[in-house]
Amino acid sequence: MITRSRLLVHRAVLVCLFSWLLSACAGTPLVAPLVTGTTEPQTVELVDTPFFPQRRYQCGPAALATALRASGVAVDADALTEWIYLPERKGSLQLELIAAARRFERVPYVLPKSLSPLLAEIRAGRPVIVLQNLGLRRWPYWHYAVVVGFDAERDRLVLRSGTTRRKIVKASRFVRTWQRAHSWALVMLRPSELPADPDHDRYVQAVAGLEATGHIDAATTAYRTALGHWPQSRIARLGLGNTYYLGGDLLSAAEQFKVVVQNSPGTVVPRNNLAQVMAELHCTDAAMEQIEVALANPDNNPELRQMLNKTRDSILAWQAKSELRDCPL
Amino acid sequence: MRRMSKRLIVAVLSVALVGSGLPLAASADMIGTQVAIDLQRGSQAIENVDEILSRTEVREQLVRLGVDPEQVNARLANLTDHEIAALDKKLGELPAGGDALTVIGIVFLVLLILELVGVIDVFKRI
Repeated sequence: MITRSRLLVHRAVLVCLFSWLLSACAGTPLVAPLVTGTTEPQTVELVDTPFFPQRRYQCGPAALATALRASGVAVDADALTEWIYLPERKGSLQLELIAAARRFERVPYVLPKSLSPLLAEIRAGRPVIVLQNLGLRRWPYWHYAVVVGFDAERDRLVLRSGTTRRKIVKASRFVRTWQRAHSWALVMLRPSELPADPDHDRYVQAVAGLEATGHIDAATTAYRTALGHWPQSRIARLGLGNTYYLGGDLLSAAEQFKVVVQNSPGTVVPRNNLAQVMAELHCTDAAMEQIEVALANPDNNPELRQMLNKTRDSILAWQAKSELRDCPL
Repeated sequence: MRRMSKRLIVAVLSVALVGSGLPLAASADMIGTQVAIDLQRGSQAIENVDEILSRTEVREQLVRLGVDPEQVNARLANLTDHEIAALDKKLGELPAGGDALTVIGIVFLVLLILELVGVIDVFKRI
């Protein structure tokens, strides 16, 4: 009995191994289905993408420099080491790559986790930073590379990787190592650029990160870019108003908040910001009117209500200072 | 005790921030776009005491990991509060891309692969 079941297990293992070998040798192509049927070229390689052969452990700075340089930032891998390298970890964190992109006024856009948007970026002329796990799940071997091209016919990708300028990898092999790193892919967008296949929430989230870290000019341009594509986006218009405010242009800020409030009267945050800007422009009566409307919304959660009350206090404080000043609105 | 010291650090930090003329948690009564997004998603928005503490803790961790103390603030300045909090919680587990695999590691991997394909049989538990 025991030997029999053992035999069965062995057979099962053999069958699995055989089918795995088959699928590895004659696997279904991954690139072709994503590009055929379109009028787009089947083979793309961004040959002008610069190359920074990495020093030991420094694939992070090398990959980031490659993508930044391709988007017009004059920087090299050595200069990025002090921004993203962690000596004791002998590597770089994804979040620090994102942070460094902001430092150079680029919108760090993390792509959806599939091959299709990655290829779309290459077609749009932007190399893509990827994280790979070249090892195993339990014994990871983390590595950053930059995808610069694809070949649908041969089902290959072209990477700038490590010390290899043109590393040609079978698509299935790449996808395996990439999926082991949660299919993480990052592009550097100029603030005037949208991704090839733009996702509203992802994009605005990326720009909000620029705003929150004080890169006001880049964020202003990027919000304008967003509004060019999604003119009805409340959050992008709120963002544009916020960056105008942070840049000291209160009148333009008020104008943007007003548009949002007029288009969607039930929205609370833009009304709060409109009220605050009005107060700072010495229009305290109008400001008070706005904040009262915002406070009356029954859907406000306690956290938001607390913020609104703070604004109300701020308006009261401005009222005392504004008595003899004209309201320009 | 821990609470006490936390409060103390926050107090000192707040004074330091105000003193240095840095804007404290954006400007007082404007709601930033990130916070608006958080509110929309229903996640907690306002940076709390823990998030302020995170920044100091992450700063210390990065310095311990070899980052130049003079550079560390500039690096952290480009991270949002949420990102800092994420780093604080799991900096040790996050992948650090850099091909950091020691020779021993490679030998071990080779052994493991040989084991898995049935060539050798040194790991009893697999």
